[in-house]
Amino acid sequence: MKIVIGLFLRASVVLTGIALATFALLWNAPGDPALAIALARYDAIVTPDLVNEIREQAGFNAGFWPAFQAWFGPILMGDFGNSSVNGRPVLPDLMSSVSYTFPLGIAALAIGMALSLPLAILSTKRPGGWLDRFAIAVASIGNAIPAYWLGLLLILLFAVQLAWLPAMGARTPSHAILPALTLGLGVAASLTRIIRSGILEARGQSFLPALSRRGVPQNSISKDHIALHAAIPVVTVFGLELAFLLEGLVMVEVIFARPGLGSFLVEAIGARDFPKVQAAVLLTALIFVVVNLLIDLFYKVLDPRIGDHDA
Amino acid sequence: MRSVLVLVVCFVLLAVLGPLFAPYDPSAINIPKRLQPPGGEWLLGTDALGRDIFSRLLHGARWSLGLAFVVSVIGLVVGTSVGLIAAIGGKFADWITMRTTDSFLAFPELVAAIVIAGFLGAGTGSLIFALSVTGWMRYARVARGIGLSLKTRDYVIQAKLAGLSNVSIARWHYLPSLIPSLTVVWTGMFARAILGISSLGFLGFGVQPPLSEWGAMLLDARIHMRSTPLQMIWPGLAVLISVLAINLTGDALRDSLAKDNAK
Repeated sequence: MKIVIGLFLRASVVLTGIALATFALLWNAPGDPALAIALARYDAIVTPDLVNEIREQAGFNAGFWPAFQAWFGPILMGDFGNSSVNGRPVLPDLMSSVSYTFPLGIAALAIGMALSLPLAILSTKRPGGWLDRFAIAVASIGNAIPAYWLGLLLILLFAVQLAWLPAMGARTPSHAILPALTLGLGVAASLTRIIRSGILEARGQSFLPALSRRGVPQNSISKDHIALHAAIPVVTVFGLELAFLLEGLVMVEVIFARPGLGSFLVEAIGARDFPKVQAAVLLTALIFVVVNLLIDLFYKVLDPRIGDHDA
Repeated sequence: MRSVLVLVVCFVLLAVLGPLFAPYDPSAINIPKRLQPPGGEWLLGTDALGRDIFSRLLHGARWSLGLAFVVSVIGLVVGTSVGLIAAIGGKFADWITMRTTDSFLAFPELVAAIVIAGFLGAGTGSLIFALSVTGWMRYARVARGIGLSLKTRDYVIQAKLAGLSNVSIARWHYLPSLIPSLTVVWTGMFARAILGISSLGFLGFGVQPPLSEWGAMLLDARIHMRSTPLQMIWPGLAVLISVLAINLTGDALRDSLAKDNAK
């Protein structure tokens, strides 16, 4: 229980820190934010009075801390404010974007696991064999290929040349196939390496010969001991994998014109829509921190050798 | 270590001398000869403004590889300093620096770089800043970890007793032991920086046209995907080969270090 509270406290400190950092960045960004908002809202007919009015409204005149409090206070109550460009509340748009991003992320993880697990297991049957070398080569290339380029190549092949799949937008479920494949292949590449070395390391553990001499069947050794051991490094790097996935999601959503969280963020930055940027950043941080927290907890369940003192 | 050095020298030569071998001016516009196929007068063809793609790729190495090198070295210097301060500076310094490092790691790095570069406004300066601010934490972690393990070594304790300042102990007694591991981290971060710079370039937040950074070239090429698909292949291939070369060198170095440690 103590660890849970500790982790929770740490997560809230980190989230507040990120909120503060984002706000400081926007506060210090070159150019007058009020002017940017005025331009975005009213195009060419911008007068100095109008800019002043916006500045007053947004609390920009009051100084850094009051402005930060005026923004962050309502967020704690779940109110993310209104878009500074079209005046609509941010939260519904944000949620609708997540409804596109979340399934895509899950699908990418599923594809990644479905490809990497069999490949890694087969490749460790004979380390150094042709299948093993093939797996390593594929994983190395997969790790080095930029996600956005892979996405473009898949569009070129499956949407432009073969015309099998749609590429742009998110109207039907089949629109999700290419983006999920793009991300899934990247996930598979890095997972293959990790699972492979996890299995190889687990096989070298000294208690395995002892188990087999005691008459534990080989099947149970692979299933109950090697697999469990190999899972530990996989769970450990899951946090890194998630960062990779979130980064990939931004690029892939932009390429495939999918209206998810990544597109939401990039468009908001382009339009200098502060409330939207801040909301997207905070939500990304929240997802990231919460998942990492769960990983920490899960890790302790999986490997009892890790005591409370490490928390 | 030698392989990393060879790779770096190759990349530096490519970035410095590559442009000298460019057959054309990378920004010379030639509209009548736009979107030419590869082969013939233009090795890899021409882009939508009739610029020679091969020359643009060679010049682009300066941005894509050169800036990535700068960014990864800034991260190395900053991160190592932070890590050594944490390891040497006592409990309070350790707590402050490591909580800061954790906070910076609590957000996907490339997403943070996109937000920072996007808000500071497009340009090389903000690009370097955005990627450096988000690219020092891994060095700090590694430097601190090794630093703490060195703390109880006899030669470090002796140096302390001899009255050496913390700075010179860090310089002469910690740094040499850190170099191999930090080099491995550096290869990974260099590869990430190349991907980061081209990603930001592709989103339009990075190096701006007419400079021929590889990500920005891809952004241009994307519009003409249907008519000249090959145009899209080259810049991506350049990124892929560079990152692959660095990763493989880094892997080899890590394996040879692991062997040395096992001896």
